[in-house]
Amino acid sequence: MFRRILIANRGEVAVRVLRTCKRLGVEVVAAYTHDEAELSWLKEADHRICIGPVRSYLDQDAILQAAKQTGCSALHPGWGFLSENATFAARCEAIGIRFIGPPSHLIRSMGDKIEARRSMKALGLDPIPGTDEPLGSVEDARLIAQDIGYPVLLKAASGGGGRGMRRVYEEGNLASAFAEASSEARASFGDGRLYMEKLIEAGRHIEFQVIGDCTGRVLVLGERECSIQRRHQKLLEESPSPVLEPEQRKAVSERIAKALSAAGYTSAGTVEMLRDPSGALYFMELNTRLQVEHPVTEMTTGIDLVEWQLRVAANERLPESWRAAQGHAIEVRINAEDPERDFLPTPGALDAFSFPSGDGIRVETHLQEGDTVSPHYDSMIAKLIVHGATREEAIESMLSAIDQCHIRGVFTTLDLHRSILNHAGFRSGDYDTQTLAKMQES
Amino acid sequence: MARLWLEKLGSPLTDAMGAEDVARNRVSLEGLNESVKQAIDTAKDGWGESYRERVHAKGKWTTWERIDALKDEGTKAFPIGSLVNWGRSFEGSKREAPGAGVVTAFVKVEGRWSIVIANDNTVASGAWWPLTPEKIQRAQEVALRLRLPVVYLVDCSGLFLPEQSRSFSGARGAGHIFKKNAELSAAGVPQIAGVFGDCIAGGGYMPIISDRVYMTEGAYMVIAGAALIKGAKDLKLTSLDIGGPEVHVNRSGCADVRVPDDAACIESIRGELAGLPSSAEAFYRHGVAPEGPLEPTEDLNAIFPSDHRQVYEIRQVLARLVDGSLFHEVLPNVGKEVVVGVGRINGLWTAFAANNAELTEHPEKPGEMRPGGILYKEGIAKLAAFTRACDADGIPLVWLQDIAGFDIGVEAEATGLLSYGSSLIYSISTNRTPMFTVLLRRCSGAGYYAMAGMPYDPVLQLATPISRLAVMEGRTLAIAAYNSKLDSNFEIASQDPAEREAIAAGMEATANRIETDMDPIAAAARMDVDELVPPDELREWLEVLVGATYQNTGYRRVKNPRIWSLHDLEVLGR
Repeated sequence: MFRRILIANRGEVAVRVLRTCKRLGVEVVAAYTHDEAELSWLKEADHRICIGPVRSYLDQDAILQAAKQTGCSALHPGWGFLSENATFAARCEAIGIRFIGPPSHLIRSMGDKIEARRSMKALGLDPIPGTDEPLGSVEDARLIAQDIGYPVLLKAASGGGGRGMRRVYEEGNLASAFAEASSEARASFGDGRLYMEKLIEAGRHIEFQVIGDCTGRVLVLGERECSIQRRHQKLLEESPSPVLEPEQRKAVSERIAKALSAAGYTSAGTVEMLRDPSGALYFMELNTRLQVEHPVTEMTTGIDLVEWQLRVAANERLPESWRAAQGHAIEVRINAEDPERDFLPTPGALDAFSFPSGDGIRVETHLQEGDTVSPHYDSMIAKLIVHGATREEAIESMLSAIDQCHIRGVFTTLDLHRSILNHAGFRSGDYDTQTLAKMQES
Repeated sequence: MARLWLEKLGSPLTDAMGAEDVARNRVSLEGLNESVKQAIDTAKDGWGESYRERVHAKGKWTTWERIDALKDEGTKAFPIGSLVNWGRSFEGSKREAPGAGVVTAFVKVEGRWSIVIANDNTVASGAWWPLTPEKIQRAQEVALRLRLPVVYLVDCSGLFLPEQSRSFSGARGAGHIFKKNAELSAAGVPQIAGVFGDCIAGGGYMPIISDRVYMTEGAYMVIAGAALIKGAKDLKLTSLDIGGPEVHVNRSGCADVRVPDDAACIESIRGELAGLPSSAEAFYRHGVAPEGPLEPTEDLNAIFPSDHRQVYEIRQVLARLVDGSLFHEVLPNVGKEVVVGVGRINGLWTAFAANNAELTEHPEKPGEMRPGGILYKEGIAKLAAFTRACDADGIPLVWLQDIAGFDIGVEAEATGLLSYGSSLIYSISTNRTPMFTVLLRRCSGAGYYAMAGMPYDPVLQLATPISRLAVMEGRTLAIAAYNSKLDSNFEIASQDPAEREAIAAGMEATANRIETDMDPIAAAARMDVDELVPPDELREWLEVLVGATYQNTGYRRVKNPRIWSLHDLEVLGR
């Protein structure tokens, strides 16, 4: 095991990694920026090193220097920032600092949506039906659409943010949609090329936690359902998914393990899939890092994912098996946002900040009463996770835990979570990625 | 710390250079790339469709069909010397000799790089022309230097006799091919021959020295064919009767195995390659996976300004050659007119020594800038020390030339540039690590020598379609030639209008003639460069060359990166 590692991240994930390191006896160097020098969690670290002004968590040179200077043998990138930057991972390895994550070439290939789609397809994980190459013409588009079936989605090849995107429900509208999307894409990105994929409405976001070791063994540790989303931002996650049948879970897990083992995947990762209303699961992407919602899996499996990230990074082997997942876990993300003002972030000082504790309740935060929520970073201030024997039990205990949270000084999303947990659709398990938006409209 | 601090080089081209320059460079290069590609395609076409039909009529494959069948699926052959003899006509032949009637190429067979030497049976039935022996020997030399197995696909009607005096008797005459056969064998380099048809006279020796010789049923090897045997006509003796597989496989023992046809022969040769040790590339990657450059290789077609006086950033070029666009620059703070360092090609460590075309600070005159693309004392010393370190460490060295020459003038001579330059020349002449030279743009004067140009025996020398190979640029040469007629500012001294006009016209004609000679296609035809390569294909070429360099173990020094002497340079240069 490593003697000392650098945590190249801030906030809640830094505290999360720190906790496991303390338990394992691994010394921690906390990297901090000028603006956060006063945060209370830094005192918990064995060593601290300032890497510069706000946003320095993206400064590769500063972080590599810090790791070298403090004699770290490994570096935990957390999530966000440089956690999925292949160049950074390669640079770490070149100077002999173990990047706690998969090898850089896998980070790179999974970061490229088209390449990820191709390689996972080749390894037996079907992506959403569609094209791997840009469409040549409307005629091409027509043939492919006939093949995969309407409705379809046209997407800009070098796009994002919904521009150059069109939903097409019938062949009659294809030509005009193609022309519009293409010219919009050309205007926005200087590249009018389009891809097509099957449009899945009322889909559900179901993701599988994986971990692999250096021998090529990959274990799949169950799934998380993350369909409660606001503009593609996850708000509430649970495990297991209320809709996944055991046989399908088993079959998909085996396929994932086989594919990632063939790809040489090591470290923790998450395979994000989209479930269409017929129940089919399609590969969306592979996140090559620890996920924000990982505690849900930890609560049901009893596994410390950060511990195993560290262990496999130090070339330890995964155990032959772990006990089966038990019960049901739910996580809510508590953001400092004002739901009344379209979720506008509300940074500020925390006048009150307390949470319930006890069996089956877990709180993840880097803040304490009196700390200030920074305007420079994302607005999540804490995560509340509960575990119950059944889904119903977990929902009830989450509602009661939310009642016992006392946060003053900033607006939070706690009330929103209350209404989700009381929503009939959510309670019945019959919800999808559109549910929250519909709930808020009504 | 015996580790390398890798830096990400490069940025999107339109940010670095501006969209207009990018577009202009791309357009001007497109034309040059196209004319080179056309020339190579024309040469590859041999004597054309009618000759391919003739070959097929004999139940044989053409040379390129054989190579295509030989290579691994999904790979491509990388020919060298495609344009040898381009534009050259010969006594006694109405046609030219495209590619000198022989194909030589890097070909991957059963996962191993090999050098294929194949007579082009669509050009005068594979006859040997002037420069054919030299081209074959060049390929043999590459194989010898990198210890790559050689595959001979023999189908050769003998020397093209009307021009025999130009390919028979000299130091590099046809017979030297067989000496090279022997040298390869002596060095333990596997040689495999398939004999597919005629194999007359001297050609007979080429397969014989090979370790395994396959013959198709239509093939024969003879010291002299039936045409020269007295009485052959009366006896109805054919060359096949005299030296076919019946004779050589079953009676004389000059060949090993007879196979029914071309397909079976190629398949057998693949089987022989499969029996050799597998490539050590994965071992020498030291656990790192191969990956492409992060910045698109395709951009290389838009970086180089066609006007050789305009500058560009060499680090943008390197960013588009090395894995992940990651590079470790050695001695970055001295001799900034050259950039040296290491990066990976497909996971394999590769050293680069490149000219920096941009203005750099004068080391002794603060605030003063001096032009790049020229060798000054500091840059020369840096190159010499770097190449010696690469040699000590066994890192293959790629030279990227865009060099106008050495610094000149009173100051330059007084600092002893001649001796610094000679030290560099000594180093590159005696170093043994494999060197590859790429002529990016300019390659003039002694700079071309000092940066491991062809006379310094790089394993291979590639050139882009915008490269210009010459002692000096046309304008400079005209000045030198008309020196006695010029004043101190290189203006015409005479006041007589008629004389002035004559001198001006003479200088212009000289400059123009030099420009024509500097055409890279002409250089390739003379074998002054091994192959012309569009800039965006340089990366794949380097993958071949570096992969081939690390394919075999045990023949050259390869130090692990922990004990590189490059680290010493790092410490001392700080």
